[in-house]
Amino acid sequence: MSCPKTVHLLQEYFSDSLSVQAGAEFDKHLAQCGECRAELDTLLLTRQELLSWQEQRVPHWDRGLELFKREHAAEPPATGWFGRWQWAPTAASFAMLCLLLLNTSVSVSDSGFEIAFGGSAERAEIDRSLATFEAQQLAEIESLIRRFEARQDSNNVQLLQAVMEQTQQSTAESLDRIYAYFEEQRLRDLQDMQLGYQQLADSDYATLRSLQELAQFVSYRESAR
Amino acid sequence: MSVIDEDEALIAAALAGSPHAWEKLVKRYESRVFNQGLRLMGNPSDAMDLLQEVFLGVYRNLHRFRGDAKFSSWLFRIAHNKAIDLSRRKRLLAGTPPNAEGEADPLESVPADRQQEPEISLMHSELNQRIVERLSQLPLAQRLVVELKVFQSMTFEEIADMQDISENTAKTRFYAALKKLKQTTEDEHVLS
Repeated sequence: MSCPKTVHLLQEYFSDSLSVQAGAEFDKHLAQCGECRAELDTLLLTRQELLSWQEQRVPHWDRGLELFKREHAAEPPATGWFGRWQWAPTAASFAMLCLLLLNTSVSVSDSGFEIAFGGSAERAEIDRSLATFEAQQLAEIESLIRRFEARQDSNNVQLLQAVMEQTQQSTAESLDRIYAYFEEQRLRDLQDMQLGYQQLADSDYATLRSLQELAQFVSYRESAR
Repeated sequence: MSVIDEDEALIAAALAGSPHAWEKLVKRYESRVFNQGLRLMGNPSDAMDLLQEVFLGVYRNLHRFRGDAKFSSWLFRIAHNKAIDLSRRKRLLAGTPPNAEGEADPLESVPADRQQEPEISLMHSELNQRIVERLSQLPLAQRLVVELKVFQSMTFEEIADMQDISENTAKTRFYAALKKLKQTTEDEHVLS
């Protein structure tokens, strides 16, 4: 390469902003200098060969998606079916607790099923029976007390009459008789008390039997449904 | 919607956590980056390494992209820097000494020996393989200028800005690279 302008001119030729004047001078020199023209042609050919590059397809890769998903995951991913239902045992326990606290009962019949909170109709019936039983007991006890008081009053009147009669003969013998009379009255009172309690116990036993029969009836009705 | 607007929409969606947007953004540019890697690194394996490093860099810095420049310019600047880093690492791993002047700058290092690039034959076409073989004869600094000027259609001003060199240096490197490529072609013709 003997032309001193070749390097400078060709560097400028590939420049992005070749001025009109520089372009005219370049064309003028090329028209005269075969060496620079040949050099330019081979460089243009070389560049053209580079531009014949054929785009190659990218081999398969994950495009950084694993990293992206891992770092952008707001919540830890569920690990399969079990992971999504890990809350189920806790929820079931909570539901059972609610059922127990609210005393929930489910009645199934031919017409469907019924959910009741706070006890069933049978339970209300038992409550009513117990209330009736309690009222009966109170009435019987009050009646017994009234009879006992009436007998005591009668006994006291007799006792006073006897004392009044005896005081007119205030001897040791009369005092002994008074003591014996009091003792006899005390024993009769004890017998009356025993008889009253026996009647009360008999009444309670009858009531318990009726309650037991009622419970058996309710159980029978539930099993029949 | 223009390409720039689409890029910005995809970036916003990706930053909001959309994997679909991220994948779409990668798909738009992965082919250009991969082919650039083939030309700069000389083989598909290193091109894939470069591709992954570039998009990892993009991912790590996506929140810093302000839209002052085109996304493609920003991305190819990252690709350019990653190519230099990868070449430097490869040279260190291969135990290649600095050039004759003791220059440690990998941009000025001598081209890699083709005997150390067994995967170079994995190019899809003979034409591409021939181009890669010729480019691999160039120092990385010249290869980068050829890549940016011929394949990325950048101006010398843009190349100078990216490589932090003067425009004249960029022009000189480009002209020297073309001369070297022309010489290589002529040598091949003589041998054949």
